This record gives sequence, C-alpha cells and structure tokens, in this order.
Amino acid sequence: MADSYKVTVNGQHQLTVEPSEQTTLLEVMEQAGLKPHYHCRNGFCGACRVQLIQGEVSYLTDPLAFIRPGDCLACCCTPISDVEIKQ
Amino acid sequence: MRYSTFNQNQVNPLHEPMFFGNPVNVARYDQQKHAIFEKLIEKQISFFWRPEEVDVSRDRVDFQGLTDSEKHIFISNLKYQTLLDSVQGRSPNVAFLPIVSIPELETWIETWSFFETIHSRSYTHILRNLFTDPSEVFEDIVINTEIQKRANDISKYYDDLIFYTQLAQTLGEGEWEIDGVKHVVNLRELKKRLFLCMNSVNALEAIRFYVSFACTFAFAERDLMEGNSKIIRLIARDENLHLVSTQQILNLWQYGKDDPEMQEIAEELRDEARNIFMSAVAQEKEWAHYLFRNGSMIGLNEEMLCQYVEYIANMRMEALGFDAPFEQRSNPLPWMNKYLVSDNVQVAPQEAEITSYLVGQIDSEVSVADLGDFEL
Repeated sequence: MADSYKVTVNGQHQLTVEPSEQTTLLEVMEQAGLKPHYHCRNGFCGACRVQLIQGEVSYLTDPLAFIRPGDCLACCCTPISDVEIKQ
Repeated sequence: MRYSTFNQNQVNPLHEPMFFGNPVNVARYDQQKHAIFEKLIEKQISFFWRPEEVDVSRDRVDFQGLTDSEKHIFISNLKYQTLLDSVQGRSPNVAFLPIVSIPELETWIETWSFFETIHSRSYTHILRNLFTDPSEVFEDIVINTEIQKRANDISKYYDDLIFYTQLAQTLGEGEWEIDGVKHVVNLRELKKRLFLCMNSVNALEAIRFYVSFACTFAFAERDLMEGNSKIIRLIARDENLHLVSTQQILNLWQYGKDDPEMQEIAEELRDEARNIFMSAVAQEKEWAHYLFRNGSMIGLNEEMLCQYVEYIANMRMEALGFDAPFEQRSNPLPWMNKYLVSDNVQVAPQEAEITSYLVGQIDSEVSVADLGDFEL
C-alpha cells in the first residue's frame, strides 16, 4: 500500500490522506478546518464540485451529477494519487 | 412530424438524440443511450414520500405565535412554491414528452413531474392544517402581482416551446400565420426554443426554490414550523435531483455528447442562457425584498438572503461552465447545509436522524410537570 497521498487545496493548504481510510476529499478538507461547499453529500447535487488540477480520484459512490472535464465531486471521491484541487 | 403514442417504425433508440428524433415506441431500459437518466429514476423513486406522513399539527400553534411580518414571509413563500410546483407538475410532461426520443429520458421526465405533484399536494397539506379555509391563500396566487411577475417568466419559455411543437406537429415546417402573427416553424427554431426552455427550467430548479427554502429553514433553526420544515427538506432533496437532470441535459448538449446541432445552438445562445440565469437572480432578489418589506425575521434579512442567492447562483452557473458572476464566494447561511444534506446514509435507521423514520413522529415527551394540574 502506498504511503499517504498529498492533497493541495487552492495552492496553499497541504493535507494528507491515508489511502486505507477511504476518506472523501470533502471530509479531508473539513477535517483540516476548511469550509468546502456541499449540499447532499451523496453525489447527486453537484454542490461540492471542485477543480481537479492534478492527480487522480476514485469514486466511492456512483455520482449522478454531471462531472465536467477537469472537475471532481469532493463528497464522494477519494484520492488515488497526490492531488491538487481548487475551489 | 405528427406525434404517435406508439411509433410503428423500427427505430434504434441508441442512435436517437434526446429530443426531436423519432417518438419513443417500446419503453425498454435494457439498453440505454444515456444511462444517467435511469440512475436518476432509481434515486428519485428511492426518495418516495407522502405529505400525510409528516405531522404538521404543531405548526398551527407555532403559526399563531408568529409576528405579522413573519406570517407574511411564511405564507408568501408557500404561495410562490405552490406556483412553482403547479408549473413543474405539468409542464415537463406537456412540453418535453411530445418531443423526447429515448425511453430512459421519457420515463425520467414522467417520474420528475410526478414528484412535483407530490410537492403540490404537500402545500395543500400544510395550508389545510394552518387555516380552516385556505382558499384565500390559493386564490391570491393568480392575483398577487409579485407572484404574477414570476409566473410570466417561468411559464413563457415552456409555453413558447409547447406552441411551436404543436404547430410543427400539426401543420409541419413552414411559415404560419396564427391570429395575425407570423411564426416560422422549422427544426432549428424548435431546438432553439427547447434549449432556452431547458435553461429556464434549470434556473428555476437551481435558484428560484432556494429563497423560500432559506426562509423555511430559518424558522426551523428557531424550532418553529418544524412539520413544514420536514416537508420542505424532502422537497429540497427532490429538487436537487431535478436540478442535476437539467444540468445533465444541458451539459450533454454543450459537450457534444448528444445532438450535434444542439451543441451549435448551445454556443449560439450562450448569452441568452446566461441572461435567463441573471434575470432569475434579479427576480429572486426582488422577491426577497417583497418578503421582508414588513420587517425581517430573527436570523434572516433581505441582505443575507440576497447574498445567498448570489452564492448559490455562482455555484449553479459554474456547473454549466459559466464564470461565476458574483463576488459572494462563501456561504452566508451556513446552517442551510444541514437541511440540504441527503440523509440517505446506510446506518441503522433507529440510530440516526433518518427522515423516513422521523416523519409522522410527534413529540411524545411527557414530563411530570405536564400533569401538575391534573385531578381525578
């Protein structure tokens, strides 16, 4: 298993995620005291949409909101590499 | 292009565009062009609820205790939502079903509209509980000028699309004069009207509902009108799903994943689409002004509500690839989120606040003091 992944938010916050814990990007940001946008926390409203500048994520639940190229839904995905996101 | 309820020509729905292809014949879902719509149907049906499950009897007492300005806010919002769902309970069916061409989307439209009728019935459930005779409230919806202004903007794109579809499906393409007005009917004109209509519906689901949601949840934050708030939470959850469906349709078009002509139109009418959003924002701010004209309520005023409209508009417009037009980047009403979270999380239902287990439940707490003046 890989070591923890780095999550860079808005180019200024450096957070880490343990791959084994399957924490969503939204939870990672909240645990770090950031205030990410969200509504449904279930992948169907799209309110938590963030730009995925670099890296890859995998979805824990099947998202229903449209994911435009270069975006990801923070409430239902977890990083599978170091990622850089912007919101 | 006459509509047929069972198109006898053999068509392959996998090669049909979402709209303005051949009418759907067999309602089959084993193969799907856009599987997302069936996922939306499944999700929506899993949300099924009935207004009568929610006990609203305590609201009547709460309502009597509200100030006049608060009563104005509460009732006006219910009227506005009644209007919105009156339109949404029928219009997607009337406007989109005659032109839809793939079965999964056809069924989604029917499911979507059906849920809007549940919402309409729930407003009656709420109002019947508050007033012995709620007629006055309902009758005002058609007379109230503030509501009329909105009704016009909400229905005009639907009406236009429906009218042109009717012309096309009876008279066919061409130039037709109806009641002294000339109408040019061709497929491209129809598609343009569909595009604008879809944008207007999207703005409705994206922004228009949220002003009254905010007011409802502001009451709930003060432990007032909680039955109503439970119902509105269920409605908000449904509306979020409806919004996602219109966003999906608009994005499928603009990213060239469906009808290539719709992609062209999406580009051509981008400014108009943006204007539809911006005028919905302006109208909702006006509505906020009307709501608070007699005074604010604790925890919410006109300015905060307008900031919330801007905040949510930014979010909704970015979902369609528009630049965020407003400065408001942080959520001015953070408590809103806890009412918008879908509680469809798989934990033991009795352990958590799952709406379906809480609806219909009344406050059963009894303290000894409640029986203090009880004599045999």
